Amino acid sequence: MRLPTVADIERHIPHPDDFGSRARGTTLTARVGTALGIAFVICFVTGVWSGLQYDTPGWVPLGPDPTQLYRWTQGLHIVSGTAAVPLLLVKLWSVFPRLFIRPPQGARALVVEALERGSILVLVGAAFFQLTSGLLNIIGWYPWEFSFRRTHEAVAWILIGALVVHIAVKLPVIRDALTASIDDDLPTDAEPADDDATDPDAPTRRAVLRGTLVASGLAVLLTAGQTVPLLRRVSVFGVRDGEGPQDLPINRTAAGAGAVDAARDPAFVLEIVAGDRTISVDRDQLLAMRQRTHRLPIACVEGWSRSADWTGVSVRDLLALVDAPADSEVVVTSMQTKGAFASSRLLPSYVQDHRTMLALQLNGETLSLDHGYPCRLIAPNRPGVFQTKWVRRLEVIA
Amino acid sequence: MMRATRALLLVIGVACGLWGLWLMRDFTGEQLRSTGLWLIAGAILHDAVVAPIVVALGVVAARTLPGRLRAPAAIAFLVWATLTVVFFPVLSGEGGKPGNDTILGRPYVASWIVMTLVLIVVAVVAGLRRRRRVSSARES
Repeated sequence: MRLPTVADIERHIPHPDDFGSRARGTTLTARVGTALGIAFVICFVTGVWSGLQYDTPGWVPLGPDPTQLYRWTQGLHIVSGTAAVPLLLVKLWSVFPRLFIRPPQGARALVVEALERGSILVLVGAAFFQLTSGLLNIIGWYPWEFSFRRTHEAVAWILIGALVVHIAVKLPVIRDALTASIDDDLPTDAEPADDDATDPDAPTRRAVLRGTLVASGLAVLLTAGQTVPLLRRVSVFGVRDGEGPQDLPINRTAAGAGAVDAARDPAFVLEIVAGDRTISVDRDQLLAMRQRTHRLPIACVEGWSRSADWTGVSVRDLLALVDAPADSEVVVTSMQTKGAFASSRLLPSYVQDHRTMLALQLNGETLSLDHGYPCRLIAPNRPGVFQTKWVRRLEVIA
Repeated sequence: MMRATRALLLVIGVACGLWGLWLMRDFTGEQLRSTGLWLIAGAILHDAVVAPIVVALGVVAARTLPGRLRAPAAIAFLVWATLTVVFFPVLSGEGGKPGNDTILGRPYVASWIVMTLVLIVVAVVAGLRRRRRVSSARES
């Protein structure tokens, strides 16, 4: 018995022409790919925008207006990422036979082929990485050893880079495919065995495209209710149903943040610090100050959001107690003892806005413990993680 | 013009990719290993497992399903399979936060079963209507 040769093995690997389905084709790939590209660009832009909230360079004009901006950008981030999943899977299905194209002859052609395939591997790997890590992050499942936020950001750049390279390589094909009718065959398409060509029962390319768009649309409709109030009842697969104590979902509970004892302490006082001046006010004194009520959303980085009526004291009114100017920069510190984001920074543009408040009431009731009792920060156009709960200290830093 | 556009895109793309790598410069070995694993896992899982299974299902369906059902079944499968992937996290029973019932509070598995049944019914009804269309087309 002789060992199989490379040629024997090669004979058993399918060729692109072996895949019968006429639904696969460059015109379909280009259309689904365009939709996927748009979804990825929206994810990228909104994702970079979200990243700037965490680490804001001076040139970024971050401020309280428009009030709902972060709610929109982050909602869109999760929505377009969700919509991208069916698009990615069908896109890969449509080109799967091309995986079996045999390497070309000649060293130069081989190098070019290897580079192109390498760039596609990076693109596909990064695409799966971003969609998987994003979908798992929004349910709070972290089966990995890396920091989600930093790695999701780094791989986003790799993904968008590989996407731009892919578009550069395929630009002539994309142009031809998008200008052709979806039923046309292009020279890049595999030549199927002849009897498949006229199979009247097989799904058409047009039907696959429609099915893909329907799947993508359903993926959005059935999840987006966590940020689109109108869809709340429709989105049966949404991570959040929008419900919670005092009509608002909770991300971190007081117990989870290790804040229960300090928050319940009747001797609670809020410290306001400016330079060497420190004053303390208790909750009754806060309640005796001018109360303002504003309707503002909690807009979580995980893509859920909900508006609520918040009543409390403007941060700028509190700064006035220590004679700090209204255009100060302020650090807000929580009593929490566990978990990240125990403090947050308020840029002067937020401090100046009287809607930036320490809330004492939520939807007309005393703030519940899990919503940040005795007082919590609420400001317009700000990621939820920076709406610091169980606030114990405001410090003017500039 | 086309040449210049493509060259420019290539340069921008490579630059973005390198910036992404640069952002990982201070990752620990463990973080890099985990990142690398998750980067490659999706592509391998797709190309070596998921895609061949889908191809095999297609072959089986083409041989066993009545002709008029094939196209509706294929499209229904497309919708079902891709949505199942999208909903896999909430169906998995993983995630959530202790003591917090405002996250993952819906009966996801029940919804998924309903979704599956609805898609089956839609595919069958579409297949039956297709036969009627095809046969009435033949009669005329």
